[in-house]
Amino acid sequence: MNATDLTQVIVQFGWFATAGIHLFAATILAWVLLLQALRRRTVKRRTYLMETWQPLLVECLLEVPESLPAIDPRDRNLFLLLWNHIQESIKGSASEQLNIVAGRIGLAELARQLLDNTGLRDRLLAITTLGRMKERSAWEQLVQLSRAENAMLSLEAVHALMRIDPALAVPLVAPSICRRKDWSPLKLMTILSEAGPHIVAAMMLRATSAAEPAILARLIRHLASTRCALALPVIRHHVESGEASDDVTAACLSYFGECSDPQDLPTIRSYLTHPTWFVRLQAAVALGKLGLPEDEILLTRLLDDSHWWVRYRAAEALTSLPSMTEEKMERLQLTLTSLEAQEILIPFMARLRIKFRAVPEI
Amino acid sequence: MSQPAKPILLTVEDEEITSTLLRFLLERSGYNVVHAADGRQALDHIDHMTPPALVLLDVMLPYHSGLQILTHLRKKQNWRQVPVIMLTADSSERDIQQALAAGADDYLVKPFNPRELTARLHRFLKPAA
Repeated sequence: MNATDLTQVIVQFGWFATAGIHLFAATILAWVLLLQALRRRTVKRRTYLMETWQPLLVECLLEVPESLPAIDPRDRNLFLLLWNHIQESIKGSASEQLNIVAGRIGLAELARQLLDNTGLRDRLLAITTLGRMKERSAWEQLVQLSRAENAMLSLEAVHALMRIDPALAVPLVAPSICRRKDWSPLKLMTILSEAGPHIVAAMMLRATSAAEPAILARLIRHLASTRCALALPVIRHHVESGEASDDVTAACLSYFGECSDPQDLPTIRSYLTHPTWFVRLQAAVALGKLGLPEDEILLTRLLDDSHWWVRYRAAEALTSLPSMTEEKMERLQLTLTSLEAQEILIPFMARLRIKFRAVPEI
Repeated sequence: MSQPAKPILLTVEDEEITSTLLRFLLERSGYNVVHAADGRQALDHIDHMTPPALVLLDVMLPYHSGLQILTHLRKKQNWRQVPVIMLTADSSERDIQQALAAGADDYLVKPFNPRELTARLHRFLKPAA
């Protein structure tokens, strides 16, 4: 091959490369335009759904119309989100009205289909919907899901079961509550409080009578979140027996604090000098909830405790006493002899100042 | 004979679904609704509009809190007598205490029952035509 032939090959290759690049760019451009058009269509369809269904669902809270518009199958998830969002904004009989709409458009069937999907988001949406609809036909599926390894999924299934039938759900759920350390205590407390304190307290009480000591403390802590005094006699018996472990005693003191029955004040006071730091801590917290002005001196003594958390909670408890004022706290700080005690009061004094401060002006 | 003008209510709520819900329920009960979606809009309405028959005011708002709006509103001579119902989240006892101390007339806990809203409105207003 001579030099001229080689030049020709290079030039031809150049032309092909240029044409290829142009073709590639044109294809990408066409693809982007197509995606944009599809996106615009989707947005338009979704906007239509929101504009149609949002006011309609709100109207349905008072009265469900004879005919309801159809929902595009592609927008069913969006509709489920909207329906759940409105359910979250209301309570009482209006919620039942939304369930009538859900029944009319076959939302339960759709949610059950979503439950079989692998995506976590879809399954959570389905579980929430079935719970809100109080869909008994999904009971068995939800019971299975409440035992799932994924904490979010199992806890949402528990929530759904509680919404459907709290009396039936609590005995099923109680063993898992003892076992599942990965469940968020805050979320669990919300679920329990929604189910009604009496139902939960009665069932928890039954569970505590059969629970092993290691689990008992955990159960009593959940019982405390119900703030229901139903279990007080049994819990008092646990404490008075003298056989309770420190963990259980601390949980019992927390329960006394939440129930705030003045009858338990002498017991709580007697644990302020317990050798175990977390028992003293729970006694201080409980005293902050139902203490009297004369308890100020007991809590002040704890400001010199050897454990930082006990000092911290004692300071917090002092601030929560109804008899405590900003001036009183300042006077108290001046009488304290140790630096630790003086320092631990500082954030709570600031909190008291905020509490009594007027709303800032615009 | 011309119909009497519908009473005007001011709603201040940043959450879209709740504000749609409020507007629908209030308009259905025969009121005209002026809506503000945040603290700034609320201040603008308070400074420029004729005092409404009632204000529904959310506590948690962008820019200025409901409590700040309430304090501002109560300082204005012609807004002093306007009934204010605060909308609060479930667990904010302190908000409720502060709101009542700052001059709110009542409060409604979210999520709310539409019938409860109507009942509370009727404490302050005669049912509109």
